[in-house]
Amino acid sequence: MKTYDAVIVGAGAGGGIVAGVLAEAGHKVLLLERGPNLRYEDVGRDHLRSQRLSLYGHNAGPHIEGNPRVVVGADGQEHQVRPHQGGYNNNAACVGGGTRVYGAQAWRFMPQDFRMASLYGVPEGSSLADWPLSYDDLEPFYEQAEWELGCSGDAGAMVFHGPRRRGYPMPPLPETRKTVPLKRGAQALGWKTHPIPVLINSQPYDGRGACVGCNNCVGYACPTEAKNGTQNTLIPRALSTGNCELISEAMTERIETDARGNVTGVTYLIEENGALRREMVRSKVVVVSAGAIESARLLLNSSSNKHPHGLGNEHDQVGRNLQGHYYSGARAIIEEEIYDGIGPGITISTTQFNHGNAGVIGGAMLADDFLKPPIDFWHTSLPPDVPRWGSEGKRWMRDYYHRTLYVAGPVQEIPNPDGRVQVAPHVRDKFGIPVARLSGTTHAATLDVAEFMRERAEEWLRASGGTKIWSARHTLRLSGGQHQAGTCRMGDDPRTSVTDRFGRVHAHDNLFVADGSLHVTNGGFNPVLTIMALAFRSGQHIAQALS
Amino acid sequence: MILNSSLQSTLQAAANRIIPADDYPNAWEGGVGFYLERQFATDLSRSVPAYEAGLAALEAEARIHFDAPFVTLLEAQQDELLRRVEAGEVQTEWSVPPRRFFAMLVQHVAEGYYCDPMNLGNVGLRSWQMVGFVPRCD
Ligand SMILES: Cc1cc2nc3c(=O)[nH]c(=O)nc-3n(C[C@H](O)[C@H](O)[C@H](O)COP(=O)(O)OP(=O)(O)OC[C@H]3O[C@@H](n4cnc5c(N)ncnc54)[C@H](O)[C@@H]3O)c2cc1C
Ligand code: SF4
Repeated sequence: MKTYDAVIVGAGAGGGIVAGVLAEAGHKVLLLERGPNLRYEDVGRDHLRSQRLSLYGHNAGPHIEGNPRVVVGADGQEHQVRPHQGGYNNNAACVGGGTRVYGAQAWRFMPQDFRMASLYGVPEGSSLADWPLSYDDLEPFYEQAEWELGCSGDAGAMVFHGPRRRGYPMPPLPETRKTVPLKRGAQALGWKTHPIPVLINSQPYDGRGACVGCNNCVGYACPTEAKNGTQNTLIPRALSTGNCELISEAMTERIETDARGNVTGVTYLIEENGALRREMVRSKVVVVSAGAIESARLLLNSSSNKHPHGLGNEHDQVGRNLQGHYYSGARAIIEEEIYDGIGPGITISTTQFNHGNAGVIGGAMLADDFLKPPIDFWHTSLPPDVPRWGSEGKRWMRDYYHRTLYVAGPVQEIPNPDGRVQVAPHVRDKFGIPVARLSGTTHAATLDVAEFMRERAEEWLRASGGTKIWSARHTLRLSGGQHQAGTCRMGDDPRTSVTDRFGRVHAHDNLFVADGSLHVTNGGFNPVLTIMALAFRSGQHIAQALS
Repeated sequence: MILNSSLQSTLQAAANRIIPADDYPNAWEGGVGFYLERQFATDLSRSVPAYEAGLAALEAEARIHFDAPFVTLLEAQQDELLRRVEAGEVQTEWSVPPRRFFAMLVQHVAEGYYCDPMNLGNVGLRSWQMVGFVPRCD
């Protein structure tokens, strides 16, 4: 049987970074990824099957056949859904995971985001908690993520953020036409704004090109490798050491344990000529980095006599507290010319309302949006009172595709232990593995935050010259999706958390989690930079433990 | 096409009211037919029976209201019928829910009109020229 120092399950944001850190420290690593290693051409430019508008499928996986999930609806009934259907809460399945096609917004959380329970108290029925580490503990690793992958931004202008030792390695992406009214509006309101930090090269960096401003950024791959994911940074670095073996299209079936309950390796499955080949490997350490939903599923599916409820699940915590982000915002028509078609399209943000808002818990960052392909715009961006067909619907597309502004932000969710991932033993994927079952909702206090942020978005658009302004209220639902997090939260108390502050699963010496699952709370920001910073930190810790 | 020629004519006429001609092409000239033809054979194969039922029912509505096939009606009459279907105010027996059928039809027509050309719709990129979307660096 093949033997490694570490097997890492999932080559996404977290897994890719741990692979790089361990391989460069000289450890033998196996990196298993269920999806393929996609070239730029494989991702393509399909406007109906992207990770942003997935009407008939995705461009970064998983395939819509053979990978169902079970979702419990508001009616309490179980529904089987495919990856592109509502409720599935997909992120991606390929080398790089979500970072292969993401928008690359690279936000640090604020110091307050690690202390939500202390700052705001715990609403009844919620599992709001402090992190077992502070912003200061994570700060050096945020810096590492920003410099090792490559990040553009204007640190000096981010006055509401925590202290930092070092700025960004690259200046921000240029402003575009639509920045102008939004900047003016914010100034009129007395709000502070700044460019959006992105893991995108504003100038050539580390041998990769600069952004050329194409107009299919989020949901697509980058033509100049200016968008930095793990697939073009830490994973190639890991491979170039000769210490890391990457196997794509390899589905990890279970984590293996011995008679005493110790983790010994994993079993994975590969599809070959229509048949399944099963491989078992041994390793000193197993790192689970399959994304918040699939990591919980894998731990739960790895039950044994010693661990009848799954690994790390002695206290029924694995899979609970599933969080993502409600996106709260508003749209407006602006009469001036605001379109120049230069991507990525995210140009201005305010973090004025992430904390300190009377009557609500936390808040959100607000920003303008990525450019949208016309059919995506048709689906998401028409006002409810405009007919979607006939001359009027067509005229709206013609006159307002390039005059519609959208500002929105990721609302910091209030976690609920009943918003959770379980497994559905009666429904299996194409490998015969029981699938994830999603049920519950986030805590209702999230709605108050969403409503507060919707009002701020409208206010900003009004001050920016918006003539017609529209938005929609949120209703309570389960959240996860591309910002999924929280299902194996870190903590000091094994009864209320799954891992310790380094991502080590309680009661195991050699089983780690390194992905969005670890987040105790998910910030009012896109989560990936925090996932990466934690992965650098855990990776360093695991490397030391292995030495 | 997978639909029979009479249903296809109804589909074409209805699509051209959903996206009518002006300075820019109507739905069919914009490639919606090419788009739907491939979709009916692939992703939307399971929706073909619903299309057949809905288009046949739309024809039946045309006969009841105007005593003529849908394709021969004046544009204003076609629009009136489509508005009724959209509102679910139908006179004949529909085996697909009319409102759901209409929403599906509108969505698929828009897809064919505004999609990227690899999906066979959006002929000559005319809809993108109309809205001002210029693909860069592809
Ligand atoms: C279109 C899009 C835009 C986004 N934009 C942003 C943004 O601007 N800013 C931001 O912060 N975040 C963004 N995100 C979210 C970001 O990509 C995720 O937060 C991040 O990728 C999550 O990292 P992770 O390590 O938790 O999981 P992932 O990156 O999802 O990686 C998990 C990997 O594990 C693999 N896997 C799962 N199960 C198994 C198994 N059993 N065996 C083997 N492999 C397995 C999966 O296929 C996947 O590749 C975006 C995501 C998408 C899709
Ligand atoms: S907008 Fe820039 S970073 Fe984004 S895909 Fe296009 S070239 Fe790459």
